Amino acid sequence: MEDKDLKALWQRFEEKLDESLVLQRKNAEAISQLKIKSTLASMRPAKIFTIVVGILWVAFVDLLIIGLWPYATWFFLISALIQVILTKLAIGIYLYQLILLGQMDISGTILETQEKIAALKASTLWCARLMFLQFPVWTTFFVHPNMLQSGPGLLVQIVITASFSFIAFWLFFNIKYENRDKKWFRLIFEGKEWTPVLSAMELLSEIRGFRREDLDEEYV
Amino acid sequence: MSGIGNSVAFQELIEQHRGILYKVARAYCPPEEERQDLIQEMMIQIWQALPRYNAQYKSSTWIYRIALNVAISYYRKTTTQQRRQQALDAKVLQGTEADSGEKEQQFRLLEQFISELKELDRALMVLYLEERNHAEIAEILGISISNVATKVGRIKDKLKQRFSQHQHQSNGR
Repeated sequence: MEDKDLKALWQRFEEKLDESLVLQRKNAEAISQLKIKSTLASMRPAKIFTIVVGILWVAFVDLLIIGLWPYATWFFLISALIQVILTKLAIGIYLYQLILLGQMDISGTILETQEKIAALKASTLWCARLMFLQFPVWTTFFVHPNMLQSGPGLLVQIVITASFSFIAFWLFFNIKYENRDKKWFRLIFEGKEWTPVLSAMELLSEIRGFRREDLDEEYV
Repeated sequence: MSGIGNSVAFQELIEQHRGILYKVARAYCPPEEERQDLIQEMMIQIWQALPRYNAQYKSSTWIYRIALNVAISYYRKTTTQQRRQQALDAKVLQGTEADSGEKEQQFRLLEQFISELKELDRALMVLYLEERNHAEIAEILGISISNVATKVGRIKDKLKQRFSQHQHQSNGR
């Protein structure tokens, strides 16, 4: 098959155009008269809602820390502080996503626009990493020094907190695209809600491949 | 531009480039019922981007960028299982239309082989088959002209290879 044959085959599309013409005309009229939200813009309210809920939670924990500072145990105060700092970082990621959404230009070049959309989706994985990093503080915030005075109580607490800390740090450093095919990774991220995130990471890798070839040619 | 002026410009633009929307949508979304949704999403994006239209670009370049960006994002949202189903549907359709003439069969094959390409390669091939020159393809995709030439050559070879493989299989039956 020659180039001209491929192009001639493609031209058969022209014959099939009329079938969708009427519908498109009607759509064009309707779209220009209505205020319609696009799919991309529809992501914004969910992000804003998450940020608002996050800020309310952070304000609540901050007030709790300040209010209970003279009375609470150090275990509670330090656990709450770590939790609130990690939540603030997650809110920062959501704000970054909101800024990216604002900067999105769908009429930009394919590589640039797709890279931004993929980076936006892939950054959600950072929130998951931060969430896992909170693991250990959920085993310490309720601890009272009296609980640790007996030998077994102290030992049990150390084992639980150390195990959670190990898992949290291990996941924090190992949740990355390179490990996407590992069994544990698939187990954690097998849900429907993670599919677009993993798919975005795959696209980011493809875009880098496209770019790399571009750079290689410049050096040849 | 006034609201009415904008509306008229938009409808003219869609009328003029309806082929682009249709072909890009068909390359990324074979099922007819979902394709109409995809075309509608492309139109919404064009309508919303219209006030920011930069006249330094040809209107076709601008439309291709939006149509391809929307189509690739749409395609990314479909699951691997849905993509497999779509590929299977395309093959079934190809089989059922075996008696619909050689040209039509080859056209279906071309569609099927294009749908097997990765989404960025697919964009490149659609633009090539649409007879866009390398400079315009580079401008739409955001890569260098020399890279366009290399990649087009490579993907064309892949397509031709698929056609000859299919030919051999058909002759062997």
